[in-house]
Amino acid sequence: MTADDRAVGPAERLHPLFVLVALGGALRGVAGGYAFIAYLAASGRMRTAVLAGLALLVMLVASLLLYWARFSFRVGDNEIRIDSGILSRTHRSIPFDRVQDVDITQGPVSRLLGLAKVKFETGGSAGSEDEGVLEAIGLARAQELRTLVRSRRSAALADAPADLQSAPVFAMDGRRLLLAGVFNFSLAVFAGLFGATQTFGDVLGFDPLSRRFWAALLDPSNPVAQFVLANQFVSVLAGAALLLLMGLATGLTRTVLTDYGFRLDRAGVGLRRRRGLLTRTDVTLPVARAQAAIVSTGPVRDALGWRDLKLQSLARDEGGGGDHVLAPLARDDEIARILTEFQWSPLPDRVEWHGVSRAYVGMLALLLVPLLVVGSIESLLMPWVALIWFPALLAILALRWLAWRRTGYRLDGDRLLIRSGWWRRRILILPRNRIQSFEIAENLISRRFGVARVQFGVAGGSGFSSHVIPALPRETARALREELLVSPS
Amino acid sequence: MDGLIGDQPLEPVEPAYRQVLGARLLLFWLVLSVAAIVFDRAVLAGTPLAWLLAVLVPVVGVSTVLTAPSRIYARLGFRLTGRILQVVRGWLFHTDTVVPLVRVQHIDVTRGPLDKMFGTASLIVHTAGTHNSIVALPGLSPARAAEIRDAIREHVRTDFV
Repeated sequence: MTADDRAVGPAERLHPLFVLVALGGALRGVAGGYAFIAYLAASGRMRTAVLAGLALLVMLVASLLLYWARFSFRVGDNEIRIDSGILSRTHRSIPFDRVQDVDITQGPVSRLLGLAKVKFETGGSAGSEDEGVLEAIGLARAQELRTLVRSRRSAALADAPADLQSAPVFAMDGRRLLLAGVFNFSLAVFAGLFGATQTFGDVLGFDPLSRRFWAALLDPSNPVAQFVLANQFVSVLAGAALLLLMGLATGLTRTVLTDYGFRLDRAGVGLRRRRGLLTRTDVTLPVARAQAAIVSTGPVRDALGWRDLKLQSLARDEGGGGDHVLAPLARDDEIARILTEFQWSPLPDRVEWHGVSRAYVGMLALLLVPLLVVGSIESLLMPWVALIWFPALLAILALRWLAWRRTGYRLDGDRLLIRSGWWRRRILILPRNRIQSFEIAENLISRRFGVARVQFGVAGGSGFSSHVIPALPRETARALREELLVSPS
Repeated sequence: MDGLIGDQPLEPVEPAYRQVLGARLLLFWLVLSVAAIVFDRAVLAGTPLAWLLAVLVPVVGVSTVLTAPSRIYARLGFRLTGRILQVVRGWLFHTDTVVPLVRVQHIDVTRGPLDKMFGTASLIVHTAGTHNSIVALPGLSPARAAEIRDAIREHVRTDFV
């Protein structure tokens, strides 16, 4: 072995069972192929369909085998090298200095086979997703790599390694998990069903959105209709109960799948989070990369004293979600403890919020005027429209008014707190030195009210999560910006 | 507070930017007018709406090309102090953006074909933010753009090395 070889280490391969693990993802990726096969099968060419299916499978396996054969990585003294590519070869070198941490993810198949996917977290932009990913290696080797990277970082930072035996910073037991599931009550599945009936309803001769469907169903001679009419009250109740149950089941399933065994631990450079029932993930969130924290809740959860905590970080959370969940359901003192772990001071107990201008409600009212006019005209023609239309408009305004009462901001030492929303209640904790740009925007309507919205550019997070203070009087907005700029950055 | 922003007046961009805007709008409306006339003659001929599009679109186009550039130009200004770059623009949608110079990640000076024709350049400042990560300041003279770029580059360098 030459000196050079030692510096870059011996070549290693992915685990041979990689093919099994990756096949699931690859099969998901060829939806077009299935459509073609289904078309063949539906048009009566069964043999061709089976052959095409087999050919597709063989092709996928072959390409995965090729990928496996052409993929190797080396762990050297100062860097990790990854050589990949079937035709166009890529030789990537990731210096240990640049690796923030190693994320280990285990899908259900991987867990059965004792494999893990390893991702080297670098400071790269969110777009370069597959920078430094080892799709499937043995779990032991994955942990070895993580320890290696950790030891290098802690050598640089002179930090104590994570003590896995110590009490977690935050953990969720079974009861908490179920409670979180209840709060995650979701009717998304109905949105899905709605979409499905829209798409397939015609094919099945079943379309609850057409008049004919209901006319047939409610035809007095139809026994179903007679039953429904006779038991209208009961059936409405049963329908509502079913809706409730489905919503609960959706929320519980989703929450248990992602947040089972949720546990936050202290790790050298930040917090280590483990969670997941089928797919276990193990992610470290370095303190240095935290950009902002968001404490959110809803009216019911708020009344019961529950919150959740998310972290806006330069890295993306698994599954492409922008913000990292630090606590799906927690009490105030638990959130304070997590924030303290991050060396951020907890939220003050009582905050004197500076409210925003009443124009926040007024501007929406102005925007609703055309809808009011349309509604009035329509209700002249069809009086029952008024029964739905006007209460709906009123409800929108009322919600905005409630949101206005909660919206406010506050300078808290070296950070800015922004509170917003009534239904989705959020408190944003934004350190001043994480603000990348300031924008004061006015438009035709807001100018009439003499207000402007202040928007802060912050790195990381999901693309749509800009941080905004809506409707501040123009002078106040300017003064706030000035104040934030003057602080030492 | 020493008034980080307030002291000096906003600096206008090059008057030639009006021609750039005019040329760009002219191209846009020319294409749109031709499309409108073709559509009108091919599809709407004989309907009560005939000639409406074919007349309306060019008229709106001409008035826009004549009036818009000077207005956009008059409402575009910037300010460069030792610590911030401020870009103020727009009327219907008025935005006033401030980027602290230490937050700048990198800087581009770009010149499109129209810019070259009329002797202007755009300065584009990138920050790390997800929202508003690109702040563009069009209509500068190439020399001034380079000057600002160098001034900002000083800050980028002193902060990170």
